[in-house]
This record gives sequence, structure tokens and C-alpha cells, in this order.
Amino acid sequence: MSPRPIHLLIAALGGEGGGVLTGWVIAAAARHGLPAQSTSIPGVAQRTGATTYYVEILPVPAAELGGRRPVFALHPGIGDVDLLLASELLEAGRAVGAGFVTPDRTFVIASTHRFFVMEEKMAMGDGRLDDAHLVHAIERQAKQSRLFDMERLAAQSGSMVNAVMLGAIAGSGVLPIPPELFEAAIRQDGKAVEANLRGFGAGLAAVRRRVPARPAADEQDRAASATDAVLAKAAAELPDAAREIVLEGIRRLIKYQDVSYAQLYLRRLANIREADARTGAGGKLLREAARHLALRMSFEDVIRVAQAKLDPGRFARIAKAMHVGPGEPFAIVEFLKPGIDELASVLPPRLAGAMLWLSRRFPRLGRLHWGMAVRSTSITGYLQFRLLRALKRWRPRTHRFRAEQQAIEAWLARIAAAAEISADLAIEVAECARLIKGYGDTHKRGSANYFAIDTRIIRPALAGRIPAARAIDAVASARTAALADAEGENLARCLAEIEAGTPAAPG
Amino acid sequence: MERSFSREVDSLKLGAGEIFRGEGIVAVTKALLQSGVSYVGGYQGAPVSHLLDVLVQAEDVLEDLGVHLETCTNEAAAAAMLGASINYPLRGAVTWKSIVGTNVAADALSNLASPGVIGGAMIIIGEDYGEGASVIQERSYAFAMKSGIWLLDPRPDLPTIVACVEQGFELSEATHAPVMLELRIRACHVTGEFEAKDNRRAVYSGLNRIAGPPPFRYGRLAHPPVTFAQERCKVEERLPAAQTFIRERRLNEFLDGDLSDIGIVVLGGLAHNVLRALERLGLADIFGASRVPIHVLNVAYPLVPDEVRGFCLGKRAVLVVEEGYPDYIEQAIQVELRRAAIQTSVYGKGCLPKAGEYTSAVLLDGLAGFFSAARPSGLDVDAIAERAGALQAQKESAAAALGELPARPPTFCTGCPERPVFSAIKLMEREIGKTHISADIGCHSFATFAPFSLGNSILGYGMSLASAAAVGPNLERRPIAIMGDGGFWHNGVITGVAGHLFNAGDGVLIIMQNGYTSATGQQAMPSSASSRTGSPPGMNIEKTLRSLGVKWLRKVRTYGVADMLATLKEAMRTAERGLKVIIADGECQLARQRRLRTEEAGKLARGARLVRARYGVDDEICTGDHSCIRLSGCPSLTVKPNPDPLRTDPVATVIESCVGCGLCGEVAHAAVLCPSFYRVEIIRNPNFFDRLLFAWRNRVIGWLGGRIAEAGG
Repeated sequence: MSPRPIHLLIAALGGEGGGVLTGWVIAAAARHGLPAQSTSIPGVAQRTGATTYYVEILPVPAAELGGRRPVFALHPGIGDVDLLLASELLEAGRAVGAGFVTPDRTFVIASTHRFFVMEEKMAMGDGRLDDAHLVHAIERQAKQSRLFDMERLAAQSGSMVNAVMLGAIAGSGVLPIPPELFEAAIRQDGKAVEANLRGFGAGLAAVRRRVPARPAADEQDRAASATDAVLAKAAAELPDAAREIVLEGIRRLIKYQDVSYAQLYLRRLANIREADARTGAGGKLLREAARHLALRMSFEDVIRVAQAKLDPGRFARIAKAMHVGPGEPFAIVEFLKPGIDELASVLPPRLAGAMLWLSRRFPRLGRLHWGMAVRSTSITGYLQFRLLRALKRWRPRTHRFRAEQQAIEAWLARIAAAAEISADLAIEVAECARLIKGYGDTHKRGSANYFAIDTRIIRPALAGRIPAARAIDAVASARTAALADAEGENLARCLAEIEAGTPAAPG
Repeated sequence: MERSFSREVDSLKLGAGEIFRGEGIVAVTKALLQSGVSYVGGYQGAPVSHLLDVLVQAEDVLEDLGVHLETCTNEAAAAAMLGASINYPLRGAVTWKSIVGTNVAADALSNLASPGVIGGAMIIIGEDYGEGASVIQERSYAFAMKSGIWLLDPRPDLPTIVACVEQGFELSEATHAPVMLELRIRACHVTGEFEAKDNRRAVYSGLNRIAGPPPFRYGRLAHPPVTFAQERCKVEERLPAAQTFIRERRLNEFLDGDLSDIGIVVLGGLAHNVLRALERLGLADIFGASRVPIHVLNVAYPLVPDEVRGFCLGKRAVLVVEEGYPDYIEQAIQVELRRAAIQTSVYGKGCLPKAGEYTSAVLLDGLAGFFSAARPSGLDVDAIAERAGALQAQKESAAAALGELPARPPTFCTGCPERPVFSAIKLMEREIGKTHISADIGCHSFATFAPFSLGNSILGYGMSLASAAAVGPNLERRPIAIMGDGGFWHNGVITGVAGHLFNAGDGVLIIMQNGYTSATGQQAMPSSASSRTGSPPGMNIEKTLRSLGVKWLRKVRTYGVADMLATLKEAMRTAERGLKVIIADGECQLARQRRLRTEEAGKLARGARLVRARYGVDDEICTGDHSCIRLSGCPSLTVKPNPDPLRTDPVATVIESCVGCGLCGEVAHAAVLCPSFYRVEIIRNPNFFDRLLFAWRNRVIGWLGGRIAEAGG
């Protein structure tokens, strides 16, 4: 019976130091006298793209082979991989999907950290993959697995992720090489030795300690702003499912405007609450409507931006995140580019109306923007934001405020009307508010999409021209289509398809 | 250059009996020095870049041996360089990436192979085939066959590779033909060891120059009428000589096995994976002893008819394992057996796929298929088929469990100066509509991936402008050609710019001037700020364009998205006809960061003042639309869960790897996105005035009810 090499497949991203990592493994094997071979596929594909490294090690010292040399392969084989090491969760999943992880053999050590691919990042809503699905598939296919956040361990150790991965290899016990020899390989390299040894130690400990797959989520910092006791009492009477959201909405709106604005929020919710109870939605309709209503009522105008930029504690938060050392001066430069729309939004309706008419009449004016880079940590910069923030009291008299309140009332009326038909339809209509977000062109595009869905699906549905079940589905698919591409091609196609099956409006 | 090869350079100095440890392509480099080469050259590209990179950093080794190193401007130049071996007893080697480099070199290769050589001439070609490949898949074999160049395809272990290099030179000299040594990407980067020999000084080199040219001999020219004689010589003299040499020197290997009624003929480069597949089927051991007889072709071309016939004689069936299509070797073997009236069945494509990389799983499946078809005596074929089937099923069930996963193609690095150009093109398209984009080879071809998805064709390195020549006159809008400075000097200046001017075209050309051939590892090129010797090469793209007669020329700093956008719009809209060139200027960020890291570490250690910038996003202001990501695509600009309990869409965030290039701020401005971006400027080792100003701001803002920092500086 000839000995069998141990097969190690490393799945990583270009630029994470996989080449150095395999170098360490080969050096450690050499120190132990074991024949070993590594190979990789560097090149342009390495520039942050997915890549793999492959190592084979014969667990018998070369000295005992009587001059025979093992024949090592250049590609990993399905059913043949003993240890899969992945620096990122999706890459672990990719190796599993390619068949390299088999229940009879493969020990999987993977980071739970995600480095999102472009497809996930560029989605207009939430395009992220489901981590739980990946974790489940990995754990189900593996003989044994250890999943932990290598990125975090690397950051804590001040090392690159490759050192943590080396520690994980050493700790797995799959290779018959004692940890000291891996450490010696790091030392021999002579680069960032201390940090790499710390990273190595962290990876080693994490594998041996059976770190739980899912680290507990960080507790959200929900430092509440003053919540009026009366309002809290009103909220206490709300159904469980919606209570937290409504409370958050109240806090948000007091901070955004004032107590009476939060009272308006509660009054607006009263109807929804009634509809929720009547349709037996179990608080779900109320929760979703409350969530979107709070967001819609705290719409993003320049005053809110100023409020956020001057938020107490923001400078300190940024300084901490950017690792500003004690006593190190720092400055923060904010990028703003207000245009006619932003200017009009803080003017009284009539003046704003005139200005917007002019900007439509003269498109060049409409495209006018003032690019500003304001240093909010300087005295003049700070004062500029202070001035903007001070417009808060003036806000209810602005054009934007009036326009938003009208739009909100119209949306609430749609929800109420939809609730007459079915709770699910009402929830779908409420959800459409998700499309209206952002600033400038993003806001315009979102609003236009919302109105297209409102005009072409919601209104015909409320008028009874689309059966309820189909309408629920239609609103949901149109919303998804609207978030599929910024050019609106998916939405246009989706609406056309839906309309093709809808009787025309009378007259 | 992207990395330091000091350790590899040391390994080039090893003497007889010492053990070389390292990767395949560096072992080739060492083997060249052991073979006594007088000159080395080539054009960089994966997977052979390291060969040249190591030599560039091994100036002292080369000097000591008198080896001339030429970092050629393209593969045609490298191939032409081998012309030195036509007239002189000089050994020389050049390298490039194949198939693309071989295509570029083809003219010189034909004219080299026809007269033949008296000094050993070797071409090291790196096959960028399979996973991670960046070029189209075609076989270099075709070039070897048509030109009469011998093609070595050694087993992927270092002693065999090194022996093939050394014997390759002898083969070349014995047969007066150039030789190609082919290495697949994994073989270039495979690690291993071999016993080194002393480096050899060539008889003639820079240290001992040849007195003068040889007496005039028309026969050394690739020019009629001698080309007819050379044609005959190639097939009637050199080919048989090569076959004799290969047979006598036993360059090819025969592995015996007890299943003697079948056999496998495999190219050297694929032999280890085949042996592994046999081992997994229980038909070989880990030391390469196989139950199935194997003929390993370390020389892929020419085939030695006697060897093939001898191997096949008495066998019912053989399997030919060669990657890619056409199946040249399978066909040749069929012909040889037919000629000798040997009735062995030949399997090849059919058991094995015509297209795609021969990975472990593909080979296992192919071998099982061959055994099932050939049914050798003494083998439980069904058990083998079952085993292969089980592995296939395992793969399918795993793939089904995961569903389709999104790809992760390579992309522009964080802070890359080329990315902003594509942000600007996207913004331009919003205003004036889409136009034809002629893409090129280089990092900028990453723009063909999301989020940019820009580029309608790629015709080769430096070919973008030429490939738009017939697009412009047939399209409503001016096409835009993208070219890197690497592609410009590789051939774009002639095939593209000169051709466009000569034919009075009306297109737009963007030249990415980042100062290196970045995609291949940041090698120097004619317009780099410094060369391998340290002094600037002194060639300048702008001056070159002016001297060619380009009138409309703008140089724009790439990070200025608004400027770039305005310049692009002007180039697209101007009534002025003719070539409009925009030089997008910005140093490769990888190279820049490598330099800055050292500089900054020095400054910090010295206590010198240093301002560092990084960008950030306000969670509270970001609404999770990700327009910024769709316009930038920076790896450091990503998403994270929304900390706001009322929102579900993830917010944008800038991670630690940010180098502060400023693109996100620029894009937010140019596209009027949102006010969430901010830049933080941190002053390390602040001076007195920095501290004073900071303390003063802190105090005043404190009076105004705000707070910057805990303590006032």
C-alpha cells in the first residue's frame, strides 16, 4: 500500500497573501523533511478576484522513501481534498459547489467574513447572499468544519488574513507538522514577524477552541433620544409585533422635528392600526406601515443632512473608526452638491414653485449645482451646518415639507383603501414606499417608479380591475423589478406584462 | 516592479550539487544560465513574467556571465532577437505568453525557422490555459508544426523541466531548428527542487565578443530562392534529425505496466494529473508506478514514429491525452499506425472532451470511459466506472445544494487611476447616449465587468483603435477606443494611431498612462518614469503623438471625474474631425502605494509631519441605493448591514483598505449622488501650528455646542 499525500486546497481572493501562505506551508513541510508541492494560478485573475492555491504533502519523510520521489498532481481532485481552507465564506461555498468538499474526507476551515461581490453590492436594494444558506451547505458537505471570522482575528492581531489561515492549518491537525515549524517559517521570512505570529496564534486557537459558527451580533447602539412619556404610553398599547418599530419612529421624529410631529405620526397610524386589527393582519401591516411612515416623515432634506453631520458624538465616532491617535489633529471634509431642487426645498411653496417653474423652463438652470467641500471641523464650516440645521423650525413652512405631507397622505389613503380588499395588498402597497429614497437623481428615479406602480397597478387594483390575489403579486413583482436596474428596463417590461393581462380602464 | 525577487535571484547563483528550491519558471531561468546562454529576452505576461522579472533584478549575475538581457517591446521583437542564433554560435532564449504572444511573433518565427539556427534558440512559452486564464484558448502546437519548431512539453516536475531546457538547446543545435518549451500556468508556478549545476559562461558573449560578421551566405536569409531549399531541408533533414535525437537521448519516457493490452500516450505536461487519476482508480501508486503502460511525450512535436509504433504494437487500444483542439497528436498517431498497418484502436477526444481544461475530474472521467470502451483483460472495468460515477454524482449534488453562486471576476484595485475614467464614461453616456467602446488588453479590460460593463470588442493587445476603424464610419456616434500605455508601446502607436491618422479617421482614443505594464506585474516600458537600470527611458507618449500629427490632445488627471467628463463630452461633440486623444494620467496605485508605504513609514519613524486621508460614509445619510457603488466599483467601497432599525437595505461603507484616492467623493460630486461621503484628514506627527489650530477649533466649536475631540489637542 503506497502512502497517500495530504491534499490542501486554499480558496482566497487575490491580494490576500495566498502565495506567501503556501510558501510558509511548503517551508514548514521542508523543515519537517516531508516532500511537498504547491501550485497556484496567479496572473491578472488575482486582482481581487477569486483564486485558489493547491498543496500536496506526503506524510512520510523523504529520507524514508529510499530515493523514490512522489508524483504530485497540479489540480485538486473531487473526493480527494483533506483540508479546505477559505478566507471568505462565499469562496468556501464556491469550493463546495465545485465538489471539492466531501463528507468522507474534507475538513473545512472557513472564515465567516463576507467580502461582497459586485453583484451583491451594486443591487439597488439588498442583493446580499444568504449567509445561512452557505454555512448550511458547507457544514452539510464537510466531514468536519470550523467556521469563524478570520478577518476579525487578523484585524485584532494586526496581521494579514494569511497568518490567521496558517494558524488554522496548524491547529487543524490535518498535517503531521508541529505548530513550531510553521512559526519558524514565519520567522524565516522575516517580514512583519511579530504581527504574523500573533495572527498565527489567533488562527490556531480559533480552530482548536471550536469557536461558534455564528458570532453573536453586535448589540446595536440604540441610545434613545428623549421620548415623551405620553407618547411612550400610547405606544405601549400597540400590538407586540409593531411596538418596537413605532417607538423607534417616535424617537426619530422628535429628533427630526418635534413632539407634535411625532403626535401626527401616531394619529396617522391610528387608521392603519384599526385596519390591521380589522383584517387580522396581526400587527404586521401596522409594523410595515409604521416603519415606512417614520422614514417618509423624516424625509432627507438638507436640514436633516445638517442635523446628521452635526450629530453629537459623530466626530468622535469617526475619529475612533479611522484610528485617530490621542492628540492627533484631524479634519473632516463633507462633500455636498446642492442644486435648484435643494434650494427650492427650503423655500416657501410659492417662491419654490416659481423657481421650479423657471428651472423647467430653462433646463440649464435646472442642472445647476454648487459643488461644495465643506470642512465641518473648521469654525466656518461648522457654522454653515449650524445655520442649515437651524432651519429645522422653519421646515414645516417649506415647499418640500408640504409636498411630502401631501404625498404621504395619498400613500396612506392607498393603504387604507387596499386594506378594504386585503391585508396583504395593503402591506404590499405600504412596502412600495421603499422605492422612494435618496437624494437628487436617485430620489427622482425612485419617486417616478413609485408613481408608475401607483398609476398602473395600485389604482387599477383598487378600482377592482385586477383581482386581489393577482394584484398582490403584481405590486410585489413590480417593486422587485424597480429595484433590479437603475435604467428602469425591468420595471417597464414588468408593468407592460401586468397591463397586458388587465382590462383597460373604462372611458 | 510588483514584487522583489531577491530570494529567487540568490537561487540563480547556486553551484553544482546545491539544491534549488523554488517555482517552475524560476527553475527554467536557472536552467538557461546553466546552459550557457549569451542572450535572453521576451515580453512579460502571465505565467512567464517571473522569468524576466527575476533576471531584471539579477543584473550582477548576468554581468558576471556576460548574458545580454533585452526587455523587448513586444513578442515580435523578442522572436526577431533569436535571429542572432542564425549566423552566430550563440545560445539564446526568449519568453512570452501564448497563444497571444506567439501570434504577435509569428512573422519573425517563420523567418527564423526557415533558415534555421547554428546557436541553440529556445522560446519559453507560458500557456495561460484553464482556470484563471486571460486569453483565448488555441494550441501553440499549430505554430510548432507549421514552422518546423520543436515543441517540448515536459513533465511538470523541476528536474524534468530543467533537463528539457538543457537538452532543448542541444536538440536545437543538433537539428538547426529553434525549439519551444511549453509550460502550463500551474507548471510555471509549481514548487519543487532539483540539484543545481554551475552556471556556464558562453564561449561568445558580451565578455568575449565575436570578431566580425561571417562571410556572406545567402542561405542564411529567409528569402527566395533559398527558401525552397530550406523548405526541403526542414522536412528532409531537420525533422529526421530531431526524431533521431529524441529517440537516442530518450527525451520521451515509457512506463511499463502489467495491463499490457492497453496503453496511454500523454503529453508530458499532463502526465502527473493522469498518474494521479490512475492512482485514484487503484491503477498506480504515488511514486508513478502504473499498471497501465504509459508513453510520456516530453516532446510534443515532432512525434517519433518508431516510438509510437513500438508502444502501440500488440495493444488492443491506446488513449491519447492532449488538451485542446484540434487533436493533432491523436491524428498523427492514427496515421502512423495506419502506415505500419498496426490495428490498435486509438481513443482520445470522445473519451476526453474536445474543449476545456483537463482537470482532475475530467481526466478521471475520461480514463474510466476509456477502460469501459477498451475493456482490458484483468481489470474490473465496472468497478472503475462506478467509482468515477460516484465522484461525478457527488459533484452534481454539491452544486445543486448550493445553487448558482455569483462569480467574482478580478477588478480594478482600490484607488486604481483607471477606474475614474470609466465612471466618467458612464456619466457621459447618461448625457449623450451610449457609444461603441473598443476595449483592449490590460487592467482596463476589467471595465467589461460590472459595475461598468463597458466594451464592445477586444481584438488584442494595442488593437483597440485599429479595431474601431470600420466602426466609426458606420455608426451614429464616434467610437471610443481604450488603450493602456503598455498597449500603446506594444504596437498601438503604429497599428492604432498611425493607421488612424493615415486614414483620416474621426475617433476618440483614451490612453491610460499609469507608467507601467501593470497587469503583468508592473514592468517598466518606454514611457515609464524609470527603467530597470534606474534611468528614465525618456520616451513620452504626448510628444510621440504630437510628432505623429495628433492635433486634438488633452491630458487629464484621471481622478478628476468632472474634468474627465467634460473632456469626454468635448471629444464626442466637437465639430473638429480627426483623432481626438485623451491621455488619462495617473500612476498605477499598486506601485504608488508600495512606494508611499516605505516613504510614510520612514516619515513616521523620523517624526516628520504626515497627512493621511481616508474616506467614509455617514450611515444615517446613506439611503442604501448604492448608486455610488454602481459608478465606482471600488473594492474598498462596499456595503454593511443598515444600523438603522427602520431600514433594511444595506448601507454603503468604506473599509480599512481605502487609500484615499478620492474617487467616491468625486463621483458623488460629478453624479450629484448624495451628501453621505466625507474625507478624514489625519495629521500624524503634527507641528505646533497644527496643534494650535486644532485646539482653537475644538474650543470654538465647543462654545457653539459641538465637540470634535475629547481633549483639546
